[in-house]
Amino acid sequence: MPSKQDSNDDTEDVALFDAEEETTNRPKKSKIRHPVASFFHLFFRVSAIIVYLLCELFSSSFIACMVTIILLLSCDFWAVKNVTGRLMVGLRWWNHIDEDGKSHWVFESRKASSQESKTVSEAESRIFWLGLIACPVLWVVFAFSALFSFRVKWLAVVIMGVVLQGANLYGYIRCKVGSRKNLTSMATSYLGKQFLRQTTGDDQPS
Amino acid sequence: MRSRVREFDSSTLNESVQNTIMRDLKAVGKKFMHVLYPRKSNTLLRDWDLWGPLILCVTLALMLQRGSVDSEKDGGPQFAEVFVIVWFGAVTITLNSKLLGGNISFFQSLCVLGYCILPLTVAMLVCRLVLLAELGPINFMVRFFVVIVMFAWSIVASTAFLADSQPPNRKALAVYPVFLFYFVISWMILTFTPQ
Repeated sequence: MPSKQDSNDDTEDVALFDAEEETTNRPKKSKIRHPVASFFHLFFRVSAIIVYLLCELFSSSFIACMVTIILLLSCDFWAVKNVTGRLMVGLRWWNHIDEDGKSHWVFESRKASSQESKTVSEAESRIFWLGLIACPVLWVVFAFSALFSFRVKWLAVVIMGVVLQGANLYGYIRCKVGSRKNLTSMATSYLGKQFLRQTTGDDQPS
Repeated sequence: MRSRVREFDSSTLNESVQNTIMRDLKAVGKKFMHVLYPRKSNTLLRDWDLWGPLILCVTLALMLQRGSVDSEKDGGPQFAEVFVIVWFGAVTITLNSKLLGGNISFFQSLCVLGYCILPLTVAMLVCRLVLLAELGPINFMVRFFVVIVMFAWSIVASTAFLADSQPPNRKALAVYPVFLFYFVISWMILTFTPQ
């Protein structure tokens, strides 16, 4: 007998890691609706990493490699922040400065609507989050390797990669989590749910 | 004077890619214009972006290369050096300004300082062209004059935006690091000689 406790949670609870979603009024399709955006989302990040790893093979000039990586990282930052996030998962974040000069960071997410064309496709969502999380982790690994192997001249580029891609990652996680909950309460509620599932699973004979 | 507020509903979420590109390009272009004709404008500071500083920094670093690009000694350290000086210098000035109690946000200050490198980048371009002629005292005087004028332009442009954010008795304290920052860049430009 499936437990009904999931439906008692407030419906704004978007789970970050659950494969099965509780909100069933958002039909998920597994086809890719924006192939161009998906391609570019991964293209800039992956080619920046490839150029960084294979720079000696491509060109003997350090400058050309460095400028290429910088351009790829910048294009990737702009594309992910302004285009692919909007199209693929319906999230957006930016900074807004009001009349008094105070800066506000705005994290926006598209409300679940009944229109078919605006729903989030599961395949696109997977591609998006995979690309968003894997690449900054790789750049952090590169940062440590550059530091410890004393290839310090690459450190500027690697730090730029970490900062730009980390910023996008942080921004989109904040968008996903939403403005009402912060990350720690989100994590505790997720762990609490898992714990509860396990204990009730132990109590009831299957 | 209205501030440009982006609607908080789905209008920016659903705009086309071309609109986004054009909007950002226009914002960058407008800021370049503001640096060329500096006048006090609060609305400019509000929509900050760091694309202009990135383009200018890369251009400046590329032009400050010593030696040919094909040679064995690649100009790697000098390129990274310019990058580090520009960005680290801008961050230091911003921290100084915030510690003095300035009313400007971190990224706004970086944006202003970065965009005001534009006159010095133009000076670098002119110097490289002048260096194609024969070297000599006249050559040096021309470059010196160009660099001094552009240095003054950068200082005027950046203080037009930055000085307002400080209380009156702290303006000089906030402005002198900007002076140093552009002085170091002007020095790098003036002492540049291609091998």
